[in-house]
Amino acid sequence: MNSMKSPHIASTALDRRRFLRGAGVTLALPWLEGMRALFAKETTEPPQRMLLISNNLGVLPWHFFPKGAGPDYVASPYLELLAPFRKDFSVFSGLSHPNVTGGHSTENCFLTAAMDPTGSGFRNTISLDQFAVERLGQQTRFPSLNLGVNIDKANRSLSWTRDGVLLPAEDKPSALFRRMFVQGTPAEVEGQLRRLRERGSVLDTIASDMKGFQKQLGSGDRSRLDQYLTSVRELEDRLHTAGEWEQKPKPSTTETEPEDITDPARFFDKFSLMLEMARLAFESDSTRIVTLMVDGFATPAFQISAEEKSLNDYHNLSHHGQSKEKIAQLERVDRRQMEVLRTHLERLSNRSEEGSRLLDRTMVLYGSNLGDANVHNTDNLPVLLAGGGFRHGQHLAYDGIRNVPLCNLFVSMLQRMNVETDSFGSGRTTLTGLEAG
Amino acid sequence: MAEEQAIVAFLDRHCMECHDEQTSEGDLNLLDLAFAPDDAANRARWVRVHDRISSGEMPPPEKADGLTKEDRAKLVHLLGGELHVADRTEIEVKGRGPLRRLTRVEYENRLRDLLAMPHLDIRDKLPEDRDSHGFTKVSRMLDLSRVQLEAWLNAAEAALLAATAVSDAPVPPTSWRFTGTDLFPGLETFGERQAMFFAKEDRMVPIDGNRFKEMTPEERRDPELEMALFRSATWPYYGYPRGFRAPHDGAYHVRFSGRAVRQLNEFRLVPATESVAMSFRSRQPSGPDVSGDVRETGGWMDLGAEPKVFETTIRLKKGETFEYSPLGLPVPFIRTDGGFFYSFPPMPPDGHPGIAIQWLEVAGPVVEGEWPPASHRVLYDDLPLTKGGVTSGNPAVDVPRLLRRFVERAAVAPVPEEVIAGYEARIHEQLAAGATFAEAMRHGYGAFLSSGHFVFLTEPKRDAHAIAARLSHFLTGTAPDETLRRLANEGRASEPDVLRAEVSRLIGDDRFDRFVVDFTDQWLNLRRLRRDQSDDRLYPEYRRDDYLVGSMEKETRAFFTAMVKENLPVTTLVDSDFTYVNDRLARHYGLPPVEGSTMRRVALPEASPYGGIMTQASVLKITSNGTTTSPVVRGVWTMEKILGSPPPPPPKSIPAIEPDIRGATTVRELLAKHTEVKSCAACHAHFDPVGFALENFDIMGAWRDDYRGMEKGEKVTGIDRAGHPYTYYISQPVDPSGELLDGSKFGNVRELKAILRNEPRLLARNLVHHLALYATDSPVRFADRPEVEAILDRTADQGYRVRDLIEELVVSELFAGLRSEQ
Repeated sequence: MNSMKSPHIASTALDRRRFLRGAGVTLALPWLEGMRALFAKETTEPPQRMLLISNNLGVLPWHFFPKGAGPDYVASPYLELLAPFRKDFSVFSGLSHPNVTGGHSTENCFLTAAMDPTGSGFRNTISLDQFAVERLGQQTRFPSLNLGVNIDKANRSLSWTRDGVLLPAEDKPSALFRRMFVQGTPAEVEGQLRRLRERGSVLDTIASDMKGFQKQLGSGDRSRLDQYLTSVRELEDRLHTAGEWEQKPKPSTTETEPEDITDPARFFDKFSLMLEMARLAFESDSTRIVTLMVDGFATPAFQISAEEKSLNDYHNLSHHGQSKEKIAQLERVDRRQMEVLRTHLERLSNRSEEGSRLLDRTMVLYGSNLGDANVHNTDNLPVLLAGGGFRHGQHLAYDGIRNVPLCNLFVSMLQRMNVETDSFGSGRTTLTGLEAG
Repeated sequence: MAEEQAIVAFLDRHCMECHDEQTSEGDLNLLDLAFAPDDAANRARWVRVHDRISSGEMPPPEKADGLTKEDRAKLVHLLGGELHVADRTEIEVKGRGPLRRLTRVEYENRLRDLLAMPHLDIRDKLPEDRDSHGFTKVSRMLDLSRVQLEAWLNAAEAALLAATAVSDAPVPPTSWRFTGTDLFPGLETFGERQAMFFAKEDRMVPIDGNRFKEMTPEERRDPELEMALFRSATWPYYGYPRGFRAPHDGAYHVRFSGRAVRQLNEFRLVPATESVAMSFRSRQPSGPDVSGDVRETGGWMDLGAEPKVFETTIRLKKGETFEYSPLGLPVPFIRTDGGFFYSFPPMPPDGHPGIAIQWLEVAGPVVEGEWPPASHRVLYDDLPLTKGGVTSGNPAVDVPRLLRRFVERAAVAPVPEEVIAGYEARIHEQLAAGATFAEAMRHGYGAFLSSGHFVFLTEPKRDAHAIAARLSHFLTGTAPDETLRRLANEGRASEPDVLRAEVSRLIGDDRFDRFVVDFTDQWLNLRRLRRDQSDDRLYPEYRRDDYLVGSMEKETRAFFTAMVKENLPVTTLVDSDFTYVNDRLARHYGLPPVEGSTMRRVALPEASPYGGIMTQASVLKITSNGTTTSPVVRGVWTMEKILGSPPPPPPKSIPAIEPDIRGATTVRELLAKHTEVKSCAACHAHFDPVGFALENFDIMGAWRDDYRGMEKGEKVTGIDRAGHPYTYYISQPVDPSGELLDGSKFGNVRELKAILRNEPRLLARNLVHHLALYATDSPVRFADRPEVEAILDRTADQGYRVRDLIEELVVSELFAGLRSEQ
């Protein structure tokens, strides 16, 4: 995080460079509350956020999954690295997406659970983040942000529309920074507003038409029409909110624009930087929903540490084929990943918002579409969830042969986001054993 | 009231012993249950009481000592009469169901027809409709939210934009021709050399990377080279013509020369003895790992031993390509038992079947019909189209003219003039604000397509327009066509003779296929056919056999189409002396071989266990989980879909039985334990026996005499379609015998079918229930029962033929509704 350009955005009195550099200092951030009051819609509910991370090559399963279930589980070597946060996360085993098979192609289904991604007739469907956006509307300037590390931009994203259109992930921190903090040109703003006005006019038309429609109906039908008119009103409210966001100045920052790391070999630097961008997005309340696809598959030979470079590209390495050398190296890769994650959790727990730790209002999901990349297994996915105010500190162990749908966890997370739903994807209920703290 | 007192007296005498506040067996405490049939929930409970008494199930035989047949009949009559009056009254006031919105399938169909865009792809922009027992048309479930409304607005906007021509001429088509090594993206594919190679004069031409570098462009495109392919398009695989990407969305014309071959040792080719089917898959050129849609396109084509030129049309999105997708060939998959390697499955005695392609041409995007396209003319008629789009010299005239024309085509009933005027004013407003003519028109059109005039269907209450709309949505999944619209305008669409004639006409319409697909998707749950993949450990022979699954889907659709079009008796649901097969399915069913992928009708041998929807592979696959079958699941499914009287849902506290895949215990033995408990046994006796008879069919519907397991029994080993070794065990023999509730016994599925064939009225009643639910968007309710019996009476003499049932349903009161009392 030492690659900063000189400041080019108006400073406020607050020096935020320190946290962006990750000094790890515990400090309350009064500006954060100030910023929220200014730029977020006033809500009585504390904001809930989620960061959804997938590394499409996963981890070595035997070093990840702990022994024993419940709160007294024995931490695995990898989870040992997260020991300071043991009470702040739950680890799961026996979760997967039913019938989402097809090796690496399943990476696009991690948040959608669409079946059989390589079969004829496949079409992806709405991802967890977009489902939440659809239900929650625009609570912040950006309903959601999609981030990527070493990403194959045209083909890989965790975020998809209902009709299977990829929503590209941003892999340039500088571009994210500008979107969050640099004002759009008047023409851009006006263009957006025109779109909103047109949609508003369509809603006006159908609303006045449907009020007349009502006269022709019997009582049983009127409740249906009420649903229709309520829907119109809700959409109008959303347009209004979107219009306000367009016209509201973006938050100012003392932060300097991060310099993009173009070298894909600096995989972990890029990963860390993207996590920082996610945190910055949450702290400035630019968005409350972030996806982060860590594209190990597209990562060439990379630096595991300052001293060590991987023997092969990440994909090749993941197919260790029981080679001792490769496995040893993969283990170091996975450990470094856990450390990056730990640093992120540290930072989230060091921020406070209205007296709560930011971590307690932010669900951090870390997982993979592959249970064992070596053999392309797509069951028993490694998954952990930190923060978000759940009662954590446990290993929720489900059946390793007949897995529980990962989407059950997604339903729990959606409810935590205040989305009223009892199903998502292949999930028809919340995840048994995971409760609010 | 005297009736009520008589009912109370009966219940006191015969029911209270088990159903008072202390006992409350089956959660029923009659002391606590008021008789208030005007309340829908209360009535529903009494209907259950009525049905149990009427069927003789309650009071149970051992408690029914002093109860005469006459007393029972009297009570059923009294109680039924009260319930009927109450239910009927409610229908008169409220109709059978509320106003409902279109399903996503209907919305897409409506836009496709309105805009003359038969390939418009819009349904996935809309949220999935909630379903009730597989049916997504149930009015009660089709509620409406902001998400739905926004999705309609977006879908309509996208469709209207796609319908609009933006230039005075179409994009000129481009042509490509591929020969030699350009026929494939690389020099090999996954699955070893046997999976794919180039050949000349029936011998492999070895081309590796080094050799390729040395080759001149002419050598690389050598028209004498054939591309020979011996695997199906399953992951990991990519097989598209080298470098091709569609420059625009649209249809592309593909011509190619190909033949079916056999590969012998040392990569020699000889002519095939059987045809090989192939199709194309459109997808992103993203290498082995798939991103975005994968769509089968261009249809199934049968390549024969002689080279032949094939022509087809495929649909691509901008940036997509298309790959060869041979059907039913091996599916090589990486092995990890001792390193990473592929091994192509062993060669059959006659060699590996495959295809060889000589050349391939693509041209497109193809302009189908004239320019501007029909969709454009629906929106803007013949207004001048320039390079910048459509223009109007006189919006004051053109706006009202085009809008009225559009509204008339789009709506299912006349739209009042003042409503149209509202939309018209908006369009002028947009023009005044600086929108182009096309933008302003689309603004009005888009709003209308999200309005209630377009998205809502109302209970007919004998109104001719609403009846016409119900009929067209029933049999063609869309708005009334011109003929039906005219009949509605003339007020004749409610006349029985007119309706009968229209049923015949619509069954003959091309769009009748939509009914077949949508109805079988919902009724038989066919849309879930691909829900479970077969378990490669126990059923290696089915590993990724998409061709088999695709064929079984076609069989059921073709069979049901025949049931309607040929007006076959309802008993064909459970048994028939024919079915529809192609080469793959004939093999699956153990029938004499047929050639080619086309489904055709074949006679079934006398002893065949097949025939009838009940034992079709698709149904048997849907009712398994890919690893095991369960008599419970199949029995319940058959009761619900074929025989009627679905059992109540299982009690929540009892876990489902988990079949033992080791092979030590049969599912029958497990169930026997499960049903030792009396309360379980009572329900299971309804459906388990039917399920037992179906145990002779494996997870894909092939015949089996024995179960397979993972540990116990006679060991079977081999190499599967992916080139992987497998081991499973023939464990225990299947016992398909059983006894139905009425005491009739059967030894196997053929004997069960013989019993069911003698129950045509039962079968017909159930089918009418499903058809009525689909056609009228509401389940058959208590007050509808006499009307259903009347339909059955009218069709009994002819053996309850399916088309007769549809016709009688359409002219019934169920369909047309009661005249509104308001």
